[in-house]
Amino acid sequence: MTRGVIALVAVCAVVACRQPKPGDPLRGLSAAERARFDSGRAVFDSTFTPPVGLGPLFNASGCGECHENPVTGANGDEVEHHATVFHPERVGAMCDELADKGGPVFQDSVTPALHTALGIDREPRPPIVTVVGGRSTPDIFGFGLLDAVPDSVILSYADPDDRNHDGISGRPNRFFDGRLGRFGRKALVPTLREFNDGAFQVEIGITNPSVPVEGTVAGDSLPAGTDPTPEPEIGARGLELADAFVRLLAPPAPLKQSGEARRGRDVFARVGCTGCHIPTLRTGDNPIAALRHKEVAAYTDLLLHDMGPDLADICFGLAKPSEFRTEPLMGMRLVTHFLHDGRASTPEQAIQLHAGEAARSRDLFEALPAADRAALVAFLKTL
Amino acid sequence: MHRVTLLLVAVVVAPLALAAQQPIVPHDSVKGAIRAVDVRTRSVEVTTGVGFALRVVRLQVPPSVPITDRARGQGAPIKLGELKPGDVIRAVFGGRPSGFVAYTIERVGRMDAGVESSP
Repeated sequence: MTRGVIALVAVCAVVACRQPKPGDPLRGLSAAERARFDSGRAVFDSTFTPPVGLGPLFNASGCGECHENPVTGANGDEVEHHATVFHPERVGAMCDELADKGGPVFQDSVTPALHTALGIDREPRPPIVTVVGGRSTPDIFGFGLLDAVPDSVILSYADPDDRNHDGISGRPNRFFDGRLGRFGRKALVPTLREFNDGAFQVEIGITNPSVPVEGTVAGDSLPAGTDPTPEPEIGARGLELADAFVRLLAPPAPLKQSGEARRGRDVFARVGCTGCHIPTLRTGDNPIAALRHKEVAAYTDLLLHDMGPDLADICFGLAKPSEFRTEPLMGMRLVTHFLHDGRASTPEQAIQLHAGEAARSRDLFEALPAADRAALVAFLKTL
Repeated sequence: MHRVTLLLVAVVVAPLALAAQQPIVPHDSVKGAIRAVDVRTRSVEVTTGVGFALRVVRLQVPPSVPITDRARGQGAPIKLGELKPGDVIRAVFGGRPSGFVAYTIERVGRMDAGVESSP
């Protein structure tokens, strides 16, 4: 009997201590939430074809085509293209997001029907476009927790006029209705749900109850007969389940840190990386207990920072070409290409490409003894 | 009996006939940032969308349309020309054969200053 109790306690301890692996759900979900997560994974992993609504313009045939490496929900090697027009002289309207042409995402693939009708292989970019930016596929682990961080927490880190004179002046981006943005490499989108719903249409060409109308071909209507599937091409239930999967994906638990990695964590703070890559954010109240009042080791402030002219690409909302949202570092050990367009193949390269507000930290990193640089990178590889 | 039939016909047909006389103007609303204002043609363009799926709503603004500014107090009227790119507005509008026509416009703030979430 006593042995049985001990065994039971041991099993419970193992289960309780088991850390989420990449692709696992958050711990502490109810049975109903877990069921939605599992059903949502099936939607996320679905492959769409033209008869069920794919396209006519699209970047991928399903969410899981890009968010795939090494597991569903992780990053991918695809790089898509976004384009806008920057008018620095126009007060209040410096950025033309090409909303009259469906927005900045110019799809790289078309269905056979659209190819036959127009003879194109991708959405053409209008001549007014000033810059095209590449966008790599990020992992989306822990994004439900980022969604649950109150605006007030994010805004508490903003210092747009650099009043504390630390050279870092994070500022918020805003969606067009004035709400605080946080999702996307330029932090434009306020909520995870809106990001997901919009992505079905712009990435896969799947209309849905939130975005019930197909996009255009660079502002022109689709030719007749190229989109025969009735709208919406996915219903409210499918949309909700896909959102549940993304929302309830756990951030991968950091790996156990070696002595070197622990030292690297201190170096990371000492050279000032934590000025933008805030180690933890705290979520607020939330209807889902697993998202409510939790610490998330996100290593981001979800604010915009000037990263210098070499990384600059598109404007977006209030974000100028050189401004990017601090990239969350949770799950970084799984990433194989770094920065917003995947141009860096190692963490060291990514750090060396930091400029603007991050120039001081970059310079401090480069001036470190080799052992300290290696320690910092070892720390990043535990995240 | 004949009168009852006539009355029934009137009860059924009259609302339909009245409805047929009205232009088809389904109500919709949009909250977004002004992209452009053209006082000469009395039109505004509003950027809105869901996530990265963006769109522009073009609205005609007849002179009779009330335009108000939340910052100046409820119902404080302003002129069309006072609306600027980057202003966040909430507009109620309807569809006409000529396009969308605004019924009301309220300026609720500036995109760069932020606007509190509200339904």
